[in-house]
Amino acid sequence: MDTTVYVPADQPAPAPGGAARAVRARSLTKTYGKGEATVRALDGVDVDFEQGRFTAIMGPSGSGKSTLMHLLAGLDSATSGQAFLGSTEITGLNDKALTRLRRDRVGFVFQQFNLLPMFTAEQNITLPVELAGGTADKAWFDTLVDTLGLAGRLTHRPGELSGGQQQRVAIARALIAQPDVVFADEPTGNLDSRSGAEVLSFLRRSVRELGRTIIMVTHDPSAAAYADRAVLIADGRIAGDISDPTPESAMAGLDALRTLEPEVTTRRSGAGA
Amino acid sequence: MLTADPTTRVALGQMRRSIGRLAAAGLAIVISTAFVAATLQAGTIITRTTYAQVAAQYADADLVVFDRDGTMVPADTDAVRAVEGVAAADGFHGTYTELNHGSRTVYQSLVATPSDPRLSPLALADGTWADGPRRIVLPVEVAELFGVGVGDSIASTRCLRGGHQAVDENGAECYGGQEVTQRLTVSGLVDDPLGTYAAGGGVAVVSPAALERRLADDAGGAPPPGMRTLVVALDRPGDQAAVEAVKSDLAAVVPSATGVTTPEEYAEDVVASISDGQNIVYLVFALALAAVSLVVAGLVIANTLQVLVAQRSHTLALLRCVGASTGQVYRSVLLEAAILGAVASVAGVVVGSLFVRAGLLVAPGFDLGVELPRTITPSPSALLVPLAVGLLVTLVAALAPARAASRVAPLAALRPAQDPGRCGTSRARALLAGLATVGGFVVMAGGVALGTSGSIDVGLFAAILGGSMSLVGVIAGSVFWLPRVAAAFGRFTGAGGPAARLASANTLRNPRRTAATSTALLIGVTLVSMMTTGAASARVAMDDQLDARFPVDLQVTSTTYDENGQAAVPATVTAALDGVDGLRAVTEVTNVSAERADEGKPVQVAVVEPEALRAVANTPADAELLRPGTIVVPERAAALYGLEGLDTLELTGPDGEVTLDVAHSDSQADRAYLTPQDLAAFAAGTAAGEVWAAVDDDQDAGEVVSAVQEAVSTTGETVGVAGIVVERSAYQEIVDAILAIVVGLLAVAVVIALIGVANTLSLSVMDRSKENAVLRAIGLSRRQLRATLAVEGLVIAAVGAVLGVVLGLLYGWAGAATALSTLGTVPLVVPWTEIAVVLGAALVAGLIASVVPAQAAARTRPVAALAAE
Repeated sequence: MDTTVYVPADQPAPAPGGAARAVRARSLTKTYGKGEATVRALDGVDVDFEQGRFTAIMGPSGSGKSTLMHLLAGLDSATSGQAFLGSTEITGLNDKALTRLRRDRVGFVFQQFNLLPMFTAEQNITLPVELAGGTADKAWFDTLVDTLGLAGRLTHRPGELSGGQQQRVAIARALIAQPDVVFADEPTGNLDSRSGAEVLSFLRRSVRELGRTIIMVTHDPSAAAYADRAVLIADGRIAGDISDPTPESAMAGLDALRTLEPEVTTRRSGAGA
Repeated sequence: MLTADPTTRVALGQMRRSIGRLAAAGLAIVISTAFVAATLQAGTIITRTTYAQVAAQYADADLVVFDRDGTMVPADTDAVRAVEGVAAADGFHGTYTELNHGSRTVYQSLVATPSDPRLSPLALADGTWADGPRRIVLPVEVAELFGVGVGDSIASTRCLRGGHQAVDENGAECYGGQEVTQRLTVSGLVDDPLGTYAAGGGVAVVSPAALERRLADDAGGAPPPGMRTLVVALDRPGDQAAVEAVKSDLAAVVPSATGVTTPEEYAEDVVASISDGQNIVYLVFALALAAVSLVVAGLVIANTLQVLVAQRSHTLALLRCVGASTGQVYRSVLLEAAILGAVASVAGVVVGSLFVRAGLLVAPGFDLGVELPRTITPSPSALLVPLAVGLLVTLVAALAPARAASRVAPLAALRPAQDPGRCGTSRARALLAGLATVGGFVVMAGGVALGTSGSIDVGLFAAILGGSMSLVGVIAGSVFWLPRVAAAFGRFTGAGGPAARLASANTLRNPRRTAATSTALLIGVTLVSMMTTGAASARVAMDDQLDARFPVDLQVTSTTYDENGQAAVPATVTAALDGVDGLRAVTEVTNVSAERADEGKPVQVAVVEPEALRAVANTPADAELLRPGTIVVPERAAALYGLEGLDTLELTGPDGEVTLDVAHSDSQADRAYLTPQDLAAFAAGTAAGEVWAAVDDDQDAGEVVSAVQEAVSTTGETVGVAGIVVERSAYQEIVDAILAIVVGLLAVAVVIALIGVANTLSLSVMDRSKENAVLRAIGLSRRQLRATLAVEGLVIAAVGAVLGVVLGLLYGWAGAATALSTLGTVPLVVPWTEIAVVLGAALVAGLIASVVPAQAAARTRPVAALAAE
């Protein structure tokens, strides 16, 4: 069954199920450069992300999916439009407020893992809480370690862990402060397919079993298939929305983008992932 | 063609891309070569100045004939004058006279008109030399005091002892002889530009015949005292062959001469006997410091190049991929270093020479107490040596980075750059570092032992070698323990805050980098605290030595005698002294030649109350020993009067006998000390023929002595004023000047170290920019990021500084104990103020070095964490 719903780019993507919105974007725009050389990386995007769900943002390279995530996470400033985290408008917050927001309400999982090499796995996981001046909730920490299968690895340093293990530590770090939303940027990009599948399963379990909200940026249809929903983006605009994507439907969505937007010719194959 | 060579093109291209980093590193070389150049040139100046100072009193004489026993007679002078090639010769002879004009009286030393102006350090300021019997040339200051000028006449009064009749007698009687007054015409005024006679309050000049007559009168029929030195001017001054030829002739015609030397040799001899060749020692010291500053610069260069190579590894790998050989890559790095070294060394030599020139230009503005040359022409070696050394150091420092560069695999071009992570450190390195540290300290201890037991040259060499070895060991080993110490320190100071935790973890990240950062500062701090410690020890030792040699700053001596011997210093004189600014602790002292019950040599004794002695003498130890029933015998006095080893001494006099305990002291005064109570037991009623006074340390000694002379002269009384303090402060000024130069040069090494610290820290921050972005993304605030770097910089600086101070104390003590062992026991002084300043400066340097990079780091946008490599 084809569940793909194609929507015009200028209409807000619907939020199925009527769940509370964790993250919203309204006419979100980001441009680089001036005059003739202006590049519209993001062109008036309206999109909602539901709480307690695992959403993938999909699109080819240069589609603006990373830019969207940066703006939604308060890592970069928008040229115009608004982004909301829950009821907080994050566009226009100053650096201090954004730092507190990231510390308390947002978690990150990076493609490069980005663990601090001088700390052990446990120290890496608890770091965000400590930066905020608190201590990690022991029960929650144990739950995370349990769920992510890190029990035997807590005293190891990142250099002593495999890529998949490092990424699981990074996921635990992202979840330790019980943030409203976790942004994952190509979390499987640096992993082989088995480790990648493992990490994606853990992300899905975090949503289903721990009730977290995760927004994942990926260009890989098989990774997107782990999500509850895939938002397609192309040329800086929302280009589609797939509920319960499968690798095939996600791939079909991406292919459709190519036929819709002939100028988007770059296609990085999701090799191995 | 040079530019066609791909290696050169690569090197030049790389340099263009890293010009900022290279400039910072090159600055280290510029400064250290400037240091070497300036040290070499300053060394020339110091040596020249010291010799010139001592040689000044021999003016432009070509040769000095000296007789340590002082037995040369005028006939010897005539014999010397008769030698072929001798233009002029004068004996160094002098006497004293009382000069009066109006109500003013001056007790003035007298010398003869030189037979050749080359033979006198005095400069005629006005009029002519005294060429007749009734003529006198006065010091400018005395003429001012009297208010007289050329052509005026003054009176000269002296006391003729014995039956000898003087010409123009018309005076009253003086005890044991006749007081004779002569009217003298002032024929000229003299300046003493070099301060040769400053200690005696200047000198007046009469004709040679008049002086001879006065000497004969003084002797009262007996042969006048002999001379110690004859100064000789040659027909062809400066002709080395003539000097050598005349030298042997002179030795032949003056049988009693113990030596014939040039004034320079004589000065060298005198300088050596004063300071035992310390000027050479200081030069060695300064050059050793220059060497260490070069090592610091080498470390900075090596560290910078290492980081540059690491940053360029991708480019280097690409070069290798397209066919560059390992040799070409290696050579390109060395070539880069050679260009850097050459440019920086030339700049350094220029800066160093300019610095010396500027120093000489401003020097006359300060009262250094020494006459410095206005300009200096550096010898070729003083220019070439720093150039060669600077280039060599840069090349040597580049060897390891060049090897690292040549080892970059072509494959690295295809892989994303990896975090360097934790570097492995080898066991061999640990072993060698440990051996060098321990061995170095052992060698240094051996050197100190050798130095203090007499062989200074070998001892100093061993101490420097051992010190350098141990420092190298400490530096090489620092990678093992320094980061850990710093991390522990960070945890300790951080009190658990996340910023401190991050900082202490970061110090363990890249142990080499941390160690290098801290080491650069460690070396600087070690050097500074070494020199200040050494200088403080040297100064104290020198002061002790000078105090022992010159126990009293100023002595006023009665020159009149009555039936009991020396008459008391008139009360008006004592009262006048009380009114002189800059004098303290004026006390009357009785000078007695005490007969011994054992018929031994009479003992010259200074009789003074212990409290008064404590206040006035520069050797408080003597005062501590002095009490009724005890005679204090300084080492020198014991030797003079044969009192060595005595426990008790029996003195006799008109009023009885007294048996005294002998307290031996190690001061160098030439008289024993006794209390008035004990004197009363055997020679009551002896007048206090001397007044001793101390000059306040913050006063100019020469001015105070002049003020005393003026005050005394207004009383109209005739007394001798001996301002030994002038001589003393001249020595101190030389010592201070040399130390100031050395410490000044040393500050340069610290600046190099600071450049190194700032350089390495900012490189560390650059390295971690990605990581800092991650931390920002997961909730680290800008303030926390800045705090993290500030704590890291502070902690690394604190560890380096504290260790540096400890090492510096050790090295400073070792160096002072060895180099200055001729001054006796060198006290181990801890210069607390300087240490506090050094520590404070190091901490501030650590802060500055980290705060600026921290600002850059705080600008890192969190989004950079998500950027692909």
